[in-house]
Amino acid sequence: MKQSLLKFFHKIEPDKKKSPFLHTLYDGFFTFAFAPNITTKGGVHIRDGMDLKRQMVHVVLALQLCYLFGTYNIGHQHFVALGEYTGFLQGVHLKLIYGLIKILPIFVVTHVVGLGIEFYYAAKKGHGIEEGFLVSGALIPLIMPPDLPLWILALSVAFAVWIGKEAFGGTGMNVLNIALLARVFVFFAYPTYISGDDVWIAGIDKVDGAYVGQEYGWIYGVFDWIFSGLGLDTFGAGRMAVVDGYSGATPLSLAFQGGWEKVTETYSAGQMLWGTIPGSVGETSKPLIVLGALFLIFTKIADWRIMVSMVLGAAFMGILLNLWDVTPFMAVPWYYHFYMGSFFFAMAYMATDPVTAAGTPTGKWIYGFLIGVIGIIIRVLNKAYPEGWMLAILFMNVFAPLIDYYVVQANINRRAKRAQALKAGV
Amino acid sequence: MEFVNTFIKAAFIENLVLSYFLGMCSFLAVSKSVKTAFGLGLAVIFVLAITMPINWLISTYLLSEEGLFGMDLTFLRFILFIAVIASMVQLVEMVVEKYSPSLYSALGIFLPLITVNCAILGGSLFMISRELTLSNSVAFGLGGGFGWFLAIVALAAIREKMRYSNVPPALRGLGMAFILTGLMGIAFMSLMGIDPAAFVK
Repeated sequence: MKQSLLKFFHKIEPDKKKSPFLHTLYDGFFTFAFAPNITTKGGVHIRDGMDLKRQMVHVVLALQLCYLFGTYNIGHQHFVALGEYTGFLQGVHLKLIYGLIKILPIFVVTHVVGLGIEFYYAAKKGHGIEEGFLVSGALIPLIMPPDLPLWILALSVAFAVWIGKEAFGGTGMNVLNIALLARVFVFFAYPTYISGDDVWIAGIDKVDGAYVGQEYGWIYGVFDWIFSGLGLDTFGAGRMAVVDGYSGATPLSLAFQGGWEKVTETYSAGQMLWGTIPGSVGETSKPLIVLGALFLIFTKIADWRIMVSMVLGAAFMGILLNLWDVTPFMAVPWYYHFYMGSFFFAMAYMATDPVTAAGTPTGKWIYGFLIGVIGIIIRVLNKAYPEGWMLAILFMNVFAPLIDYYVVQANINRRAKRAQALKAGV
Repeated sequence: MEFVNTFIKAAFIENLVLSYFLGMCSFLAVSKSVKTAFGLGLAVIFVLAITMPINWLISTYLLSEEGLFGMDLTFLRFILFIAVIASMVQLVEMVVEKYSPSLYSALGIFLPLITVNCAILGGSLFMISRELTLSNSVAFGLGGGFGWFLAIVALAAIREKMRYSNVPPALRGLGMAFILTGLMGIAFMSLMGIDPAAFVK
C-alpha cells in the first residue's frame, strides 16, 4: 500500500523546469503524504519527523470535535428557534444535514481562497507550499457566524492571507494571528453580519421586525426526497414562525443588559457549558474544546503556560471587577465568565498560536495573563464589543515581540552580571 | 480619579498615533531598534508632559480675554505653543547629549524634530478644544506621551523581529512599517469606546 502510493507519486511527478506551478502543487501533496527526506541547508536543526506539516495536521485533528459539534449545533439552534425537535437528539438527520449545508460552503470558500493565494505565492517565490493555511483554514469556519455571506468570507480570508501573511514573508513570519485577522476584518468592515443578536442562529430572517424561518431551497428538496424515501421526517417548505419570545440574544448580550440573572432566564449554566447555545460555529462546547486543548498540550504543540496564565488573568480581572461592582455585568461572579462566550476556544487555539505568541517561557506567562486581563476588560467595560478575546489576542500579538525583547534583555543582563561576579571571584 | 481617567483615555483609548495618526514621521523613522525608540519615546513623554501645562497657563492667563492683557490674543496661540515646545526640545537635546551621547547620535535629526512632531502640538491643541483643566492637561500630556511611547516601542520590537522575515522586496522598510501601523491600529481599536468615567463608583 505504502510502496504503491510512493510509486504512484513518483510516476506522476511533473517536470520542475517545464511546469513550476504544477510541480509546486505536486510537492505540496507529496510532502503531505510522506515526510520528505531532504535535509535543510543552513542553520541549526533538530532532526525529527514532526515537521511543520505534521504539527499543523495535529491542530486540525484537535479541532475535529469542534467541527462535529459545531455542525450539529447549527442545525440544532435553527430548529430550536423554530420550535421543532427541541430535544438535543431529536431530528438528528435533519440537524446534521442542515449544519452541513451551512458549513460546507464556508469551509470550501475559505480553503479555495486561502490556499489559492498560498499556492500562487509558493509557485512564484519558488519554494514548497507551506501548509500554514491548514490551521487558519480550519479555524476560520469555526469562528464565523453560520449565515455569513460567502463573498464577505472570501474578502476577509484574502485580506488576512495577503496583508497578514504574504506581505510579512509567508508562514511563520506573520505578526498577527491570521484567523483572527480574517474575523476582525469582517468585524470592522461589515459589523452587521457578525455582531448583534440576529446573526448567531442560521436560517432566521427578520421580516417587518418579526423573525421568521427561511424558505428551504432546492438542495433541501433533494434531501427531502431521500428522507421521504427512507420514511424519515423532512424539512418541508420552510417559512415557519419562530417560537414566542425568540430574540436570538447570546448569553453575553443578555449579561450586558442585566447580569447573570438575566442570562439564566434564557440559558441554563449546563446549556452554556455543553454548548447548546447560539454562537460562532465552533466555540460553544467547552468540554470538547478542553479535550482538544489537552490533546494539543499532550503533543506539545500548544503551550500550557499560555493557557494557564490566561485563565489566571481572566479570573484575576473578574474578581477585581466583582469587587468594583458598578454595572450589572461587573457583578457577574468571576467564575461564570468562563461559561459565557468563547474564552476556551480563544485560549486553546488562538492565544497559543506559536508564531504570534511570545516565544520565551517567562514571556508566555506575561502574554497569557495580559490577554486574560484585557479580554475581560473589553468584554465587560466596552459597550461597543460584546466579546473581548479576538481583540485582546490581537492587542497582545502586537506586544508579544516587545515582551520577548525585554525578557531576553533581562536574561542577557543577568548572565552578564553572573559572568562579572565570576571574574571578580577569580 | 479624573486624573487617572484622562491618563488611561489618552494612553490607550484615544492613542495619539494609532487612532489619530499624529506624529507619524518619527514614529516610522526611528522605530528600527527598540533602544532608540525607547529613548525617543521617553523624550516625547517628557516634552508632552511639560509643554501641555505651560501652554495651558499661557492660553488661560496670557491669550484669553480675561488674561493679563485683557484682549483676545488667540491668534498668537500657534506661534507661542511652538516656541514653548521648541525651547523644551532644546532642553531635552542638551540633557541627552550630555548624558547619553550614543543615543544622541542614534536619534540624529529626529530629536530636534520633536519640535514639529504633530503629536506634541496636536496634544496642546486637543487640550484647548476639549477645555481640559490644568491637572487634566498634565494627565493628558503624560498619558498621550505614554501611549505614543508604547506604540513606537512595540513597533520597534516587531521590526527588530522582522529582520529575519522574508518580506517581498517592494515592501521592505517603510512599506512594511505602514502596513504594521495599520494593523496595530486595528488592535488598538479593541479599547476604543470604553468610557472610564462611566465606571467610577
